[in-house]
Amino acid sequence: MASIEMERKNDASPLGAITAAMKRIGISPLGLVLLVVVALLPLIPPFNQEHMVRWLIMGAFLAAQAIAFDFTAGYINVVNFGFAALLGLGAYTSAILANKSPVLMVQPGLSPWIGIWIGAIVAGLVGLGLGWLTLRLRGIFAAVMAWFVGIALMGLVRNLTPLTRGPLGMNPSSLLNTTANLPYYYIILIMMLAVYVSLRLVTESHYGLAFKAIGQNLDAARASGINPTRYRVFNFALSSLFAGWLGGFYAHYYGSLTPQTLMHTSKTVEVLALVYIGGRGSMWGGMFIAFPFVFFIEYLRSNLTELPGLHLVIYGLLMVLVMILYPDGLAGLYNWAVEKIKGLGNSG
Amino acid sequence: MKEQSSLGSTLVKKLTGNLAATIVVGTTLVLAVVIGVEGGPSQVINSIVTGGMWALLAVGLALVFGVMNVPHFAHGESFMVGAYVAYFVFNPIHTSLKENPNTFLGVTAPFLAMLAAAVAGLILGVILERLLFYPLRLKTKSGWVMNAFLLTVGISFILTNGTTLTLGPNFRGIPRYWDVPPLQVGSVRVAVDRIIAFFIAIISIVALWFFLRQTRTGRAIRAVSQDELGAQMMGINLNFIYPLTFALATAMAALSGASLLFMFQAYPTVGLKPLYFAWYVVMLAGLGNVVGAIVGGFIVAVLQSATQLFTFTVTVLGHEFQIGGIAWEDVIPTFVMIIVLLVVPSGIFGSEVKGVQEQ
Amino acid sequence: MLQLKNLDASYGFLQILWDVSLHIADGEFVGLIGPNGAGKTTTLRTIAGLLKPMKGEVLFKGHKMNTVPAHETTRMGISYISEDLNLFVDMSVRENLLMGAYIVRDQQKQLETLDFVYELFPRLKEREGQLAGTMSGGERKMLAIARGMMSNPLLLLVDEPSLGLAPHLVTDVFKSLRRLQETGVTLMLVEQRVNATLEITDRAYVMEQGRIVMEGPSSELMTNEHVKAAYLGI
Ligand SMILES: Nc1ncnc2c1ncn2[C@@H]1O[C@H](COP(=O)(O)OP(=O)(O)O)[C@@H](O)[C@H]1O
Ligand SMILES: [Mg+2]
Repeated sequence: MASIEMERKNDASPLGAITAAMKRIGISPLGLVLLVVVALLPLIPPFNQEHMVRWLIMGAFLAAQAIAFDFTAGYINVVNFGFAALLGLGAYTSAILANKSPVLMVQPGLSPWIGIWIGAIVAGLVGLGLGWLTLRLRGIFAAVMAWFVGIALMGLVRNLTPLTRGPLGMNPSSLLNTTANLPYYYIILIMMLAVYVSLRLVTESHYGLAFKAIGQNLDAARASGINPTRYRVFNFALSSLFAGWLGGFYAHYYGSLTPQTLMHTSKTVEVLALVYIGGRGSMWGGMFIAFPFVFFIEYLRSNLTELPGLHLVIYGLLMVLVMILYPDGLAGLYNWAVEKIKGLGNSG
Repeated sequence: MKEQSSLGSTLVKKLTGNLAATIVVGTTLVLAVVIGVEGGPSQVINSIVTGGMWALLAVGLALVFGVMNVPHFAHGESFMVGAYVAYFVFNPIHTSLKENPNTFLGVTAPFLAMLAAAVAGLILGVILERLLFYPLRLKTKSGWVMNAFLLTVGISFILTNGTTLTLGPNFRGIPRYWDVPPLQVGSVRVAVDRIIAFFIAIISIVALWFFLRQTRTGRAIRAVSQDELGAQMMGINLNFIYPLTFALATAMAALSGASLLFMFQAYPTVGLKPLYFAWYVVMLAGLGNVVGAIVGGFIVAVLQSATQLFTFTVTVLGHEFQIGGIAWEDVIPTFVMIIVLLVVPSGIFGSEVKGVQEQ
Repeated sequence: MLQLKNLDASYGFLQILWDVSLHIADGEFVGLIGPNGAGKTTTLRTIAGLLKPMKGEVLFKGHKMNTVPAHETTRMGISYISEDLNLFVDMSVRENLLMGAYIVRDQQKQLETLDFVYELFPRLKEREGQLAGTMSGGERKMLAIARGMMSNPLLLLVDEPSLGLAPHLVTDVFKSLRRLQETGVTLMLVEQRVNATLEITDRAYVMEQGRIVMEGPSSELMTNEHVKAAYLGI
């Protein structure tokens, strides 16, 4: 999970070759161990209880979102405030395509396995448009514009009742023919890995450098011959594509969709908080923190039902504290610790 | 010898010689007339009242951004706090008045509630600035605007959900502040609450304008927004100007929340819509532009009324889609905004101080 | 009036000033010359409180100024006219000047100083209502200098006033600085125009690569071989 910039000698042994290959897709040895642990977790008590598996699914789902969100926020330094709406767009697209119920206007009855991809493409296309629209805006106004678009998308979903049943919500068909959670867990885990590895491959290429350059100083980037248009639009589109894809999973796993629970700004803020607490620009920070975070929050929620909204206050508090006390987040802390240890190793 | 330009002349200067602004303002006026004909003059008056409030909120946003470089996402929560404070001050008085009527208290209690809200806003503003923005400023080396924005997002989350946690999600509202019959203005009857809310917005904006133009401290605030380093070199203490500015903006938002309590009521997420429209105004008019914010406030309010008023249905495959109406209030303005920004990316009044557009 | 003792200063990890020591007596007019990037601006910024020194001391009228913030140094009587001018571009000339007198609470005094700077720069009086952002380069320079005088400073630090100015305006500016000295203000002038600077100042320092390499009465420096070779092109 943790992609550590650890300088390891690439010896010719098979182990060395594997490590090198994994490193190329952004997975360090420690990260690999953590991944295996996370994959095996639902088989080990007490984590094999159904509600715990559901938490794990939630964790992987949020982790995957955090990666896609960080791809924009941490690299080109634009907070896509309409992220949750794009996720919802993917979810609703797929849900509508899969619909068989005569209550709604159309009954394409498409398999969710195909719909999810179409949802992703639709979200990606809207993301492309959004990227293009916000192109000339300064970072913060791009964020606000994305927020507007997100609100408008949510409003559309709410208002186009013959297609979406509006605030009543939809009940999309399931992806699998089972009530067990475990298969879904492996699906979302694979999706999460796919998001991570693909976006890693992009950021490790020359695109990553260009993104960072644009994010830090647009003028300087332009002066050094980087065309911000292409990169910013590409970044937005790719991030939105994955958001839509993940939304499709949500629709066909939970089997219930409402605009409010999926597309609301506060959903974006939850992901954003994860990314910042995990360490923006690291890709793995938000992903890593998502799992323990979901467990913590869900534990709170199931034990303190008389305190609705407490978990959201905690989100906000953590975010404010991280911003003020340690803006680099967990990933920054980790890198600092690694430096320290290396320093000790060198001097000792 | 002309030391300051008057509000009116600046306004005229802004409108003439700017094609985009002229077109948008012209369209707005036409739209306002159509609204008047279709929905009756009371609709127009409604737009004017809300327009004044959006302007007041937007001025606060513009001020905070212009002076402190903070894109304020928790501005709606200041509105919410104002609404709650006004409710908790007004409601007990109102209840006790039912038992022992007192005309004087009946007239002044609402003002007392609004004053309390404004004072609460001032205090909240100072606390937030000192407690959060000050340490963030010391910590941030680069990317201040984005960090500050995220900080305000966190603040918004804490205040909204903290309110849900402590006060619950239920609505607390009042039917009206003043138990008097509506005023007859020409052929229209307008609730006194609305008229007073409108005047509060206008008086606050004008007072702010004079404060910024005519007083030593107000000039210092403008100086900081134009050149922070230069301002320090003049002996201006940023650690005085920042909290002051933030407190002023928060107080104005709280005041609008209080004076619109009869319309919006008080509940944890009441600030979202005002925030949305205030940002909308600012995006439309360009940040750091007080006059633009005033005009923008009315444009947005008219657009909002038009969206509410004009509805039509489209039938596709035997299913009816209703377009327009209050549920479209956050959809149609966004599409209008997209079109405007595609044509004039830095807002219709451009931006003098801090542009929306990437240079 | 002012004394710098073994001053080191840096931007982040990049040290710019090395062991800088200098002093200015009351009423003196002192020049600081040196090539581009020598650290002259950095020296002024440190004195003005915009940059905290790493080591050494800044003493102003006996007070240690190391950690005094910029707005306080202004209140104590130091006025800094920066290279970038830092004008308030959306304010009129008059408003800019009144901002310069921000720390002067006495309105009568403000107006007196205003009259004085208008007399010094009549053109500013003509342009009183114009926005600073719409003025020409030379006018802006004048405005910045005039604004720097508005706080009735004890010590005026002027950074390259001649930069980008037409020759006849340079003469004007230098004359007005001289007049200011006659009214009792202590001045420190940073300049690239070495000849003109040495002509009007009493004493001067030469800074190279962040260090003071030479000092002396201006008349002596003018005949110094190193100065002649490096700066006067003789
Ligand atoms: N804000 C800054 N950050 C980093 N380095 C700076 C900064 N300002 C100036 N420098 C560097 O400090 C050195 C001295 O600059 P300066 O004091 O402006 O010189 P001078 O005024 O003598 O031309 C230069 O090498 C310059 O590049
Ligand atoms: Mg310089």
